[in-house]
Amino acid sequence: MSTRGQLLLLWLTPVAGILFLLAYWLFPGFSPPMSPTMTPEEVAAFFQANSASILGVVVFCNLIGATLVPFFAAIAVQMLRVGNSSPVFAYSYIVAVGIGLTAFILADYCWGVAVFRPDRDPQLLSLLNDMAWFFFITPAGLIVIQNLCLAMSIYLDARPDPVFPRWVAHFNIATAVLMVPGAFAVLYKTGPLAWDGSLSFSLRLLTFAVYVAVMFLVLLKVVNRQVEAEGVAP
Amino acid sequence: MTTVTKPIGSDRQQDASTGRVPGENSMWFFIIGDLVIFGVYFVFYMVYRGQNQALFLESQQHLSQGIGVINTVILLTSSLFVALGTEATRAGKRRDAQRLLLLALGFGLAFPMLKMVEWLPKLGAGHTPGENLFFLYYYLMTGLHLLHVVLGLVILVFVLRDVRISKAPNIQFVETGAVYWHMVDLLWLVLFALFYLMR
Amino acid sequence: MSEFAVSPITAESQTGRPWYKSKKLDQYLCFWSVPVFYSLFGLVFVPLSYMMPPRSPDSDLAEIVAFMQSPNLLIASSILIVAIGLSAVGNACYMVQMRRMSVSPVFRFAFLAGSIVGAIVGCLFPMFCFGLGAFRPGYDPQILAMLYDFGYLSFIGSLGCFCLNWGMLSLAIILDKNEILPKWLGYYTVWQYATELFAATVWITKTGPFAWDGLLAFWFNMVIYVPWQFIIYVCVFQAIKKQPEDERIPSWPEPKAAFS
Repeated sequence: MSTRGQLLLLWLTPVAGILFLLAYWLFPGFSPPMSPTMTPEEVAAFFQANSASILGVVVFCNLIGATLVPFFAAIAVQMLRVGNSSPVFAYSYIVAVGIGLTAFILADYCWGVAVFRPDRDPQLLSLLNDMAWFFFITPAGLIVIQNLCLAMSIYLDARPDPVFPRWVAHFNIATAVLMVPGAFAVLYKTGPLAWDGSLSFSLRLLTFAVYVAVMFLVLLKVVNRQVEAEGVAP
Repeated sequence: MTTVTKPIGSDRQQDASTGRVPGENSMWFFIIGDLVIFGVYFVFYMVYRGQNQALFLESQQHLSQGIGVINTVILLTSSLFVALGTEATRAGKRRDAQRLLLLALGFGLAFPMLKMVEWLPKLGAGHTPGENLFFLYYYLMTGLHLLHVVLGLVILVFVLRDVRISKAPNIQFVETGAVYWHMVDLLWLVLFALFYLMR
Repeated sequence: MSEFAVSPITAESQTGRPWYKSKKLDQYLCFWSVPVFYSLFGLVFVPLSYMMPPRSPDSDLAEIVAFMQSPNLLIASSILIVAIGLSAVGNACYMVQMRRMSVSPVFRFAFLAGSIVGAIVGCLFPMFCFGLGAFRPGYDPQILAMLYDFGYLSFIGSLGCFCLNWGMLSLAIILDKNEILPKWLGYYTVWQYATELFAATVWITKTGPFAWDGLLAFWFNMVIYVPWQFIIYVCVFQAIKKQPEDERIPSWPEPKAAFS
């Protein structure tokens, strides 16, 4: 047995990053993001004008979401190695990842269905769009809980040589805090907390990107230390 | 993950003569609770029936009393064989017990099949659960009871297996299965009286 | 949920170790997040949204529109978005106990899948259906009426995933030979399964005792469900308390293979 599989799947993370950059560059439909103040007619006009671009985002986001799952799974596997009295944090983490991914993909589908027939009744298009944003906001709340679980599990690691370094726990809590405002985006239509606002959209995406990048490097190190500590083949 | 703290057969040597309740205590908890839940449904059935007597009476005409009677006989017979089989197990006559339990299982299996014979033409004739309150009640209660029957059959299979393969069958387990099967029987009797017979 | 006099502090003082140094602190933390979640859950669905106790499936359009446009629904939605992850933590508490049982991992993995689906279809999506109406009050009343039905039906009528969860949990408790949770609790959980079946009628009828606000389809199920939630909560607490202080995840630190 070796950690080769784990590393292989871990390297899917930069692939997801490249897909994200590619989607951002090829399909600028959501940059800048749609304003929540748009009327149904404006939404319909927007979908009609940008259907190809949004369709691209939909397809790519589905792929990106799925490509990131092994990254979270690798975190869960390492959480199972942490010296707690039970795998309760790892289990919570896995369930939360499942909920978040489902919400993310549902958001995607709502946009996909909207642009599939952009000549639909504007009311319905607007409904699909709103629903998509609701579901798009949801994963923020789940990442908050995921990060808290990871952080607590690190703080409570009873192993003499902890699996994760302690600063990773602080880092997770900090990112969780930065994610919180995003969860309240449904309350506002304008300002930084609206879903196209600086806190809910830009800060959240930026935090998430930094988080994934940092955790990717952390995990590489953790897996390598597992190789050293347990003598499994790399 | 699969650590067993108690040896599987440790409760087999229990003394059967010291005035205890047959079967597991937790099963009695389940049975009494189950009877209470069904009881609540039956009481409300009576209440709603009292409010729409005409509708309930009219709808009741469409039930197949014949199949109901046969099913009652089937369940009673099956229950009898289970009781005899338990007695035989207790007396150590494993061969007899096997034969009796197999008979009980055979009769029991006829119940779900007859239920299908009863339901399918009814559904085909347009008497769906959505038709009115009576039929909703009828399908819900007979359906739940049918689930109990199916569960009972599964338990009977395991009881039969235990009697067949182990030299000293776990009498408590056999009793637990038997008690459950009698409850299924009892529920059906009430159900039959309320839904098929009451005028 | 403040009825519980027991606290981790008293529990741990018996072992002569302050609660914050207990090796089982991970489980206690997750365990005590459950009342937090249910308090928020109650807050979201009862006083904030007035969604529970359920409104009638038969209400007229004007009533539905008035309800669906209440701005409180948005506050409820955002609280739920933040708190929904805690449902994962609560379910993980059950899974951890299932892991200590003598049953196959199949049970807890099936439970895991059910928890993921259940959080979306039985909790988040229904709330969103109501929240969407409040978010853009300009929607056509017909659309609001559809969201109203969708929300209530998926909240009260989400049968499959919860049947799966309660089925797995009850079977695991009944078959378990390590006596982690009491056996009668397993049988009680069977009724939880049954209540989900009773709820199937809400898809069929719009009035009477079997509608989604009906005496039997909703209220009687609540009579079975609410005590169960309290009882299993106490039982899980007892199970954590009984777990030997130095019982570790069995797979740590032994097999290397399992983590490669």
